[in-house]
Amino acid sequence: MKYLPEILGLLSKEETFCLATILATAGQGVAAGQKAIVRPDGSIKGDSWPDAFAAALRALALEALAGGQSRSAEVEPGVPAFFDIISTAPCLLICGAGHIAMPLARFARETGFSVTVLDDRPDFANLARFPGCRAIAEAFVPALRGLPLGPSSYVVVITRGHEHDSECLAEILRKETAYVGLIGSRRRGRLVLETLGRKGISAERLGEVFTPIGVPIGAESPEEIALSIAAELVCIRRSGASPARALRPGRGKLND
Amino acid sequence: MRLYELQRRGVPACLATITSAVGSTPREAGAKMIVCADGTTYGSVGGGCGENKVRSAALRCLLRTKKPELLEVDLTDDIGTKGGDVCGGKMWIFVEPA
Repeated sequence: MKYLPEILGLLSKEETFCLATILATAGQGVAAGQKAIVRPDGSIKGDSWPDAFAAALRALALEALAGGQSRSAEVEPGVPAFFDIISTAPCLLICGAGHIAMPLARFARETGFSVTVLDDRPDFANLARFPGCRAIAEAFVPALRGLPLGPSSYVVVITRGHEHDSECLAEILRKETAYVGLIGSRRRGRLVLETLGRKGISAERLGEVFTPIGVPIGAESPEEIALSIAAELVCIRRSGASPARALRPGRGKLND
Repeated sequence: MRLYELQRRGVPACLATITSAVGSTPREAGAKMIVCADGTTYGSVGGGCGENKVRSAALRCLLRTKKPELLEVDLTDDIGTKGGDVCGGKMWIFVEPA
């Protein structure tokens, strides 16, 4: 594909963009398979078309980018194009490299996440335990300050103790993320969040934390719990936060 | 990424992308599959017979026509139809030399 180097360049900068592909040949220099890359700032790079055609295509690409979903549309009557929204793999950061983290990292990688594992214990956060991941063996707080978190970041907090969970969340919740989940019973989760509220994190942001973590499937073993967390990540990614919340019971014992 | 790897290794490949889907389909617009000249595939546009049709079209494109093609894949067969797909929807898949 002609524009592969440009595409890889944008992906390495973690930029989301639209790759438009003409689906039918229509004469006037418009042919099936021609492409253009349209970036959110409206800049367009691609095959050369008549100005009016390029302008119409650019407008549709920006519409698709605003909607966030890949779709087809007619640039001109009888000339369909596919507007593919392309973005980097979502990033999952797992704080805590214990028993649940290993199967979770594996499931998340297999479902398309790029995974980073953070723990202050080098015996736990290493590539032997987390093949194909980025493993960071450093103290939680300084490491979190150095990690880029953003709207495509998913964060799972499953450290070995609630003190570490609290200090991790205090850093994570200062930044915008797609998802934050905290392991523990309802009670432990509530206590951790109350502590953070006293430290000045807004109630609104605290309300966004998924705790107890995971889709309630009655999980017991580390692998089962990891599966329920992975299911929650997929739900957030593919359907959004509201449908993921709708899977959670008002009260009950599952996964508590 | 995979496409880049294949190109670097000089492996001829075709890219199939779902460009639209109506009704119940196994994957949505944007799902992709790479088909190499030896028949190896990466990714999925939904599996089953529909995917096989895409694979055939991709090989035709790679080995013969070298031209892109827009395929319609109909998954509206009735239960009991031999080998048909019964998901209930239809999808259009663009197959192009990568």
